[in-house]
Amino acid sequence: MMREILLIISILLPIAGGISLQIIRPSSDRAQRFRCELTAILTSILVWALILGGTMKPFTVYSFTLGFRILFQVDGLGMLFAAMVSIMWPFVTLYAFEYMESEQRTTWFFAFYIMTYGVTLGVCFAGNVLTLYVFYEMLSLVTIPLVCYYQNRESMYAGRVYAGYVIGGAAAALIPVMVTTLYEPTAFVLGGHRFDYLPPQFVLLMFVIGFFGFGVKAAVMPLHAWLPTASVAPTPVTALLHAVAVVNTGVFAIMRLTWYVFSPTILHGTWAQYVTLGAAIVTLLVSACRALRERHFKRRLAYSTVSNLSYMLYGVMLLNPDGFVAGMAHMLFHGVIKMSLFLCAGAFMHQSGHSYVYEINGAGRKMRFTFAFYTVGALSLSGIPLLCGFISKWRLLIAGAVEGTALSYIGEACLLTAAFFCALYTLSVSVRAYFPVRENNIWKDSSLKDPGWRMLLPIGFFTAVNILLGVIPGPVLDFLGRIASGTV
Amino acid sequence: MLIALLVFLPFGFGIADYIIGRKSERSRNRFAVVSTFAELILALVLAALVIRGGAGAVPSLDISSVFASGMHFRADGFRAVYAVVTALMWAFTTLFSQEYFEEEPEHLNRYYLFILLTLGATEGVMLSADLMTTFVFFEILSLTSFTWVMHEETQGAIRAGYTYLFIAIFGGLVLFMGLVLLQAQTHTLVYAELPQALASAGEVSDGRLLAAGLCILTGFGCKAGMFPVHVWLPKAHPVAPAPASALLSGVLTKVGIYGILMTTLEAFLDQATYGWIVLILGTVTMFLGALLALFSVNLKRTLACSSMSQIGFILTGIGMTVLLSAQSAGEGAEAAHEMGTAAAGGLASLGHHAAMAMSGTMLHMVNHSMLKLCLFCAAGAVVMNIHALELNEIRGFGRNKTLLKIAFFLGLLGISGVPLFNGYASKTLLHEAITSGIHEAGEGAAITLAGAGILHVIEWIFLISGGCTFAYMLKLFICIFVEKNRDAARQKRYDDAGSNCMNAGSTVVVLGTSLLFIALGQKPVFGALASLMTGHAGVLEAFRPLSWECISGGLISLGIGAFLYLVVIRNLLMSKDGTYLNRWPAWLDLEDLLYRPLMTKWLPGLLGAVLSVFGENKILSRLAPALFYAFASVLKVLSMTTDALILFLRKTILRERVILGQAQQKMSLVHKKRDEYREAAATLNGNFSFAMMLACIGMLVFLGVIVLAIVRG
Repeated sequence: MMREILLIISILLPIAGGISLQIIRPSSDRAQRFRCELTAILTSILVWALILGGTMKPFTVYSFTLGFRILFQVDGLGMLFAAMVSIMWPFVTLYAFEYMESEQRTTWFFAFYIMTYGVTLGVCFAGNVLTLYVFYEMLSLVTIPLVCYYQNRESMYAGRVYAGYVIGGAAAALIPVMVTTLYEPTAFVLGGHRFDYLPPQFVLLMFVIGFFGFGVKAAVMPLHAWLPTASVAPTPVTALLHAVAVVNTGVFAIMRLTWYVFSPTILHGTWAQYVTLGAAIVTLLVSACRALRERHFKRRLAYSTVSNLSYMLYGVMLLNPDGFVAGMAHMLFHGVIKMSLFLCAGAFMHQSGHSYVYEINGAGRKMRFTFAFYTVGALSLSGIPLLCGFISKWRLLIAGAVEGTALSYIGEACLLTAAFFCALYTLSVSVRAYFPVRENNIWKDSSLKDPGWRMLLPIGFFTAVNILLGVIPGPVLDFLGRIASGTV
Repeated sequence: MLIALLVFLPFGFGIADYIIGRKSERSRNRFAVVSTFAELILALVLAALVIRGGAGAVPSLDISSVFASGMHFRADGFRAVYAVVTALMWAFTTLFSQEYFEEEPEHLNRYYLFILLTLGATEGVMLSADLMTTFVFFEILSLTSFTWVMHEETQGAIRAGYTYLFIAIFGGLVLFMGLVLLQAQTHTLVYAELPQALASAGEVSDGRLLAAGLCILTGFGCKAGMFPVHVWLPKAHPVAPAPASALLSGVLTKVGIYGILMTTLEAFLDQATYGWIVLILGTVTMFLGALLALFSVNLKRTLACSSMSQIGFILTGIGMTVLLSAQSAGEGAEAAHEMGTAAAGGLASLGHHAAMAMSGTMLHMVNHSMLKLCLFCAAGAVVMNIHALELNEIRGFGRNKTLLKIAFFLGLLGISGVPLFNGYASKTLLHEAITSGIHEAGEGAAITLAGAGILHVIEWIFLISGGCTFAYMLKLFICIFVEKNRDAARQKRYDDAGSNCMNAGSTVVVLGTSLLFIALGQKPVFGALASLMTGHAGVLEAFRPLSWECISGGLISLGIGAFLYLVVIRNLLMSKDGTYLNRWPAWLDLEDLLYRPLMTKWLPGLLGAVLSVFGENKILSRLAPALFYAFASVLKVLSMTTDALILFLRKTILRERVILGQAQQKMSLVHKKRDEYREAAATLNGNFSFAMMLACIGMLVFLGVIVLAIVRG
């Protein structure tokens, strides 16, 4: 009973914290910072208390009719996602303090920012697909104001596009959610249900609709356009939400759908697998290419996120346990890497006021730490060994080779090409930063410098995690393996 | 322990050196030299241990808890020798750097940092015992050595640096793919376990194995400078600082070769197709490199192309090893198969001819490293004195510089394969390998009678390439040390500079290395070295380097070289008044012709077309606004219906007009023209956060009820 209440509180606390921030306005910036950070850290402590206590059986909190229930549980996959966001949130909140220092309406911003935390935890701990859906939808709504934060023409447009895509996607996903809940109203079970009593083609169709519905947040082509558009939001939002929390919710929902609702065995080798795997492969290659042609620093990273999300989906849609482990590994590792990259990009934009790649020439000599961290992240993302990005790529490729079908080999080739593009578009930034052509060193005599400790600490932390996980990935991979085999 | 020190100490040295460099430049330079010489001593100790311990006690190191599959190192004969060669190259080039950078001491903290980091990574590769460890250090050294190419930060250096970096990353990824394909079949990447794993994995398909092999070959080939991924080599060397060029050419290309050699020896010895591919690519590389060098009019570019050509010789040797081994293994393997024993792979299982070919390959690796150390440092001496590389400008520079002349001349003799010098022995061994392949044709499945025809062609290409080597080296030597500059004032300046062009340290480097060429050319020395490296005691006992059969091959090659020099270079590649001309067509450049457009234009263009089909900013991103308009239209219809209803009600039951007007005004907001729509949206968004807040409070209440429900049970 104790742990059940703990779980509900951990979801509720940030939501309440965010609302109270709006109702009882903090007297000073300091007080506001204190309240935000306190809420975030307390919640993280609660979450870790839950995670360290091990798994928890599903418990119903509210039951509608026809077996539609609000249900929570703590299982391996949920633990992974919760652990990930609970470590990231306090750090990025710290980063946001400095980043938002000179902005107006920060209370408004932080209120939604903290609330999002609770909603994301709701997604992590959702015990059945209906609960997942409810929190998924709430996550869409609560993040819209964050995208429109600057309230200029551009960000209002971005907000509308964002709302249109995610709400539309959720509407599509609602169909399979309802159908599966109607027939199998139980909590998530690893291995899913076979739905033998329904026409097989109908089941596959349901799955594909669900994939593309939830796939909107995972930015599967052709439903990806919102993500680069949404990069007009403040960097803490682009980093935490549009590189990790929100987009990974999409991947997370697809993982739930593939491995916990539908049975992988009924999908394997059907057109449903080919269509979804094909979409992931096209996305990962084409968006990597698009990133190469993009000149806006953050939009380039956003396209890179689109590409990397599809790496995960590629792993998941291989529909073998190796692929599932690889997909989860990439979800975790990409989160860490992309976080540090976005935070570095934000630091550069914050310090210099510029946001295009060609304006970086020579900045690395002035912002030493920022670009050193950036380079580590970039190397990791392009799959250089001893950094964590390599490990997940290695597992993904092995999973593809084990699968051994024509499509999986095509996927491998595309993945490697995408990784090559990835090296081109991330490392060319580092090269510009450190090796400006002599005549074109625009920052040579400027007063550009590294940001303060509140921005550097999170970046440094994620870089350290990046290296640590790259050198000693064993324990994490073991844990992921146990999730995939259901023995957590 | 020694291995760990050898591999990881330089990383520490590098960082320490960087920190020292921020305080004092002098102590930084000294520290760099001292640390590379310390590394050399460590490597020598290791080699001594290996020689004393023999095959029984091979020092090894396993760190199993890190990384994906642990890290494994071992030091057998070949690895120990290359650890020493690497350390020696580093010690000498760092010593040489002292003088080289005296005039332009910019960014040297960075330079020494990356020099030392790369040293650690190179030792890591050279001592690695599994493919994954090789790969890890290979990637590290790719990235750290890239800074050398960009060191000067000129337009050309940046461009060459990009080429280097992206070829390196491309190579890394292709290699990665190869590793994945191999791992999927063998479930291990430890070299020593590969033969066993391949023998016991029943259903290993040759096709997939070949795919893995080709990926690995291409990946390592990128660093080695193998055709068709050699493009970085002729670009990077001329712009890199001379000591760095010596390392790039002398050691880093060998890193690629090391990878190819190890995988070939452990996994592909019986794959004849693989052998043929390596052989053919090697031949093309060998010939193309020699041809490019012949045409080049830039001192360092010539040396770079020469490196490419020599790498081709080495690859040819590897290819022949595979073919000879597969040829003789046919019967043996069948017998082994019948008896149910797994074939033991690796160096130990090589037949006599294959072992000869292998020792030729390994000797040529060592020789080439030493030769390029000497030649690039000599080129560095030219650069640091007159800051030019074009042959027409540096012509006549060395007329009175005796020591430099001697060193360069010894280099010329060594690399062209003049008898009694080092290049002769290894080249002759490689030549022997090809001829013995021709003799054995038809006896096995690997080399058929048709194959012998191809081998005849390859033999001639081999001899011609050897001739080209002699010709372009002669061109360089005569240009720098014999001829007078066409600009008399310049020549006077060169002559007035005196015979001293290097300080004591640099002289030791250049001259000391060149004296090694004579030592390495003597049979007792290279015989012992070959036995140590291949692990076959007395492998070269039957080899008679001064028999007529061997010498005739060398002489044919030298004859072709002399002919090429006199006819082609003096006539076709020089104008009437004696200037050197660049006759190589500028457009004929694989990088500009194919690779760059492919990556920057064609592929993105193609995928851009895909994107426009998928509606990037075209169809689908309009969809979201379109949905909004559709939504608005539905609302409009609904509101009109409601309006009509209200109107109807008002007219019939509730007769009050004022409210009606307000309602109409409100509804009209939704469907007015564009700006009005925006205004409405702004109002909407203004209230939006408030609405969201309400929704959240609702959520809160909802969850509160839930908590209550739980507490009550």
